[in-house]
Amino acid sequence: MIRVVSLKKAITAGIAGAAVMEIFSLGGRLAGLNTVDLVQQLSTVDFPKWPLFAVGAALLVHLGTGVCWAVFYAFMFWGRLRLRPPLQGLLFAAVPAALAILVVYPELALMRRGADMVTLSLASYFAPLSVPVVASLAVAHALFGLTVGAIYRKPVGYAVGHKLSPPPPRRPGQTSAKRQDGSPRFMFATGIECSYPTIENGKWRRDEMDSTGHYQQWQEDFDLARRIGITHIRYGPPLHLIFDGPGRYQWDYCDPQMEDLRDYGPEPIVDLCHFGVPAWLGNLQNPEIGKALAEYAGAFAERYPWVRFYTPVNEMYVSARMSALDGLWNEQLRDEGAYARAAWNLANATIRMSDAILKRRDDAIFINSESGEFYQPCCPDEHVQQIAEESNARRFLPLDLIYAHPLGKRMHDLLTSQGISQEDIDGLAHREVPKRSILGVDYYEWNERLIDREGKALALGELFGWYVIASQYWERYRRPMMHTETNKMDAHGAPRWLWRQWHNVQLLAKAGVPLVGFTWYSLTDQIDWSIAMSQAVGIVYPVGLFDLNREARTVGLSYMHLIQLYREEPDYRECKTLKEMMG
Amino acid sequence: MASFLQAHGYDPGPSQRPFSAGAISGVLATVPAIGVLLWFGSLRTEAQILGLSELATVAVGWTAMAIAGAAYARIFGRAANNIHGGWLFGMAFGFALWAAGAVLLLPILSGGKAPAGPAALGVAVSMLVWGGAIGLLMPFVHRPLHESLEKGSKRAEVGPSAAAGKDHPPLRQQRQESRH
Repeated sequence: MIRVVSLKKAITAGIAGAAVMEIFSLGGRLAGLNTVDLVQQLSTVDFPKWPLFAVGAALLVHLGTGVCWAVFYAFMFWGRLRLRPPLQGLLFAAVPAALAILVVYPELALMRRGADMVTLSLASYFAPLSVPVVASLAVAHALFGLTVGAIYRKPVGYAVGHKLSPPPPRRPGQTSAKRQDGSPRFMFATGIECSYPTIENGKWRRDEMDSTGHYQQWQEDFDLARRIGITHIRYGPPLHLIFDGPGRYQWDYCDPQMEDLRDYGPEPIVDLCHFGVPAWLGNLQNPEIGKALAEYAGAFAERYPWVRFYTPVNEMYVSARMSALDGLWNEQLRDEGAYARAAWNLANATIRMSDAILKRRDDAIFINSESGEFYQPCCPDEHVQQIAEESNARRFLPLDLIYAHPLGKRMHDLLTSQGISQEDIDGLAHREVPKRSILGVDYYEWNERLIDREGKALALGELFGWYVIASQYWERYRRPMMHTETNKMDAHGAPRWLWRQWHNVQLLAKAGVPLVGFTWYSLTDQIDWSIAMSQAVGIVYPVGLFDLNREARTVGLSYMHLIQLYREEPDYRECKTLKEMMG
Repeated sequence: MASFLQAHGYDPGPSQRPFSAGAISGVLATVPAIGVLLWFGSLRTEAQILGLSELATVAVGWTAMAIAGAAYARIFGRAANNIHGGWLFGMAFGFALWAAGAVLLLPILSGGKAPAGPAALGVAVSMLVWGGAIGLLMPFVHRPLHESLEKGSKRAEVGPSAAAGKDHPPLRQQRQESRH
């Protein structure tokens, strides 16, 4: 699959475009212009004895052709140019226009001839084309393109507040697998990409589980994970669809999936908040999200008491940065203070959610997944050094808060400047961190950045690697660790990346760091991550173990190979750190 | 378009069989296309133009469509496995074959002779039908031909030595390298 296409929108656009073309042709004729009427041309090709049938059939063919071109536009062309949608459609229309002028119109003239066979020259083939005909076809197709472009937009996501249909119920199990409750095995994990931030100033909801087809194909997805030997799956039920308000939950959005995971595995690591909040909570600037999400976490733990692994809030730093500093998601602000407020709110939410879960299940294990980042100054320039230093301090803020690590002066002052009291900060600093907390460090090839002379952050690729970056986090927090996300947008190079990340994990474990798991994220390809989901385009981001047709990618085969190679080795069959935590 | 497809991971990978699946689908899709040719009387006209019997024309056409099917599967890669979009890619490919083959190549090879009237309509419709059919069939024909996950995961190139492999060079770089 190349693009995620909204067939409903494409069909509507195609029919509308073809209708506009026909109206133009008929209108032109009424106005005395020699406009080409393709429906009339088509209807006189054959069936001379049934003129009404011929017109009806020609109209259908014309509309059908419009639909085909619109779907083709949606798959191949839409969103490739940074132009307003109608202009994209207009440019695209050059393709059907050229084919109509050079191929279809002359061929239609041939088809209306009485003979079955003719002898052609170049001149006789193009004889039906006159200047008015060419101009008329060009204008009609331009109108078609403008119409299709204007109608076909935002093929993924939906208006905030819209409710999707709940996922289909569970079909009788086709697997003999059983969930291994309480297994201390090393976690060979993947995840279902489940991001749901809003864009367009809170008006449009991105929903990766919808865009990737997981809501419809959830059972097949879990089955694929089991088939390649995945032991744990990072799974984020859609908070924005489930949590309708205080005390109001629509569990049918995740009941069937959770029942399946409960019975057959893989063991879920439940991700309760992934880059977004329900519309009624507004955005990450809302200081009430901690209280609300704690209520949700408690209700979740009560409904699914068998769940033991939780990620209360996924990648707090990334959530806060993208929403409040980079201006892409949710509140879409670009302000250091707003970043501090979002980071504080999310850290506060994580803590309150963990407490709420522990009240229901005191042996719950928390995997606090965070993006492992690093900023390298390009030169000794004081300004550049300062930006790198600030960026490096900022990346630790949410984890410092939840792990009761002393705050640096800059981050401390930033929080207090945003009205957060010393008492509140002290409250977090002196709290007892849940003993079963695992620090998850995610790593992608853009996580290491160079601050250039202009102060801009440029992706460095794998300069120091996960080993070095994760070591910084280990040194700071001294918590058991897990590689909780990685992937690579190069279907051919992905196996190389997988194995290299794995060797990073092995090396860190050998250095004495307690490591409990490794994750290729995600099970299937993702949508629009090449543009950080900042626009609803529908571009397939081919990083999955399986593509969106649910067919294995090479990295899926590699991961299966890796799991088979290591899962029965003593250190992996029984992970010492995990055993201690679970005991 | 090739670079666009490649950037989005269309490469079928080692466990898929695009050539076989495309060739088989191409042969199967020819059945309804021949029906259309017979209905419009186009088969007789094409045979006359090519100077062959109708049976020989069918045989040549079937072979050509098997090759065209394999080419379709290779060009569209994983996109051809898409149940929702396959029909459209197939029809686009069928249209291209019609424009390149029946409209352009056939008159050139036959000294300017071309189908006209209903026969010409039949040729055009048959190619669109063939394209739509191969696009619809491909995903279903291809799946059973895939190597199993168990077998595919045991291939040497997906194993530990992949760590020492190379990233995929960008298409432009590949082209430059092949020129040198």
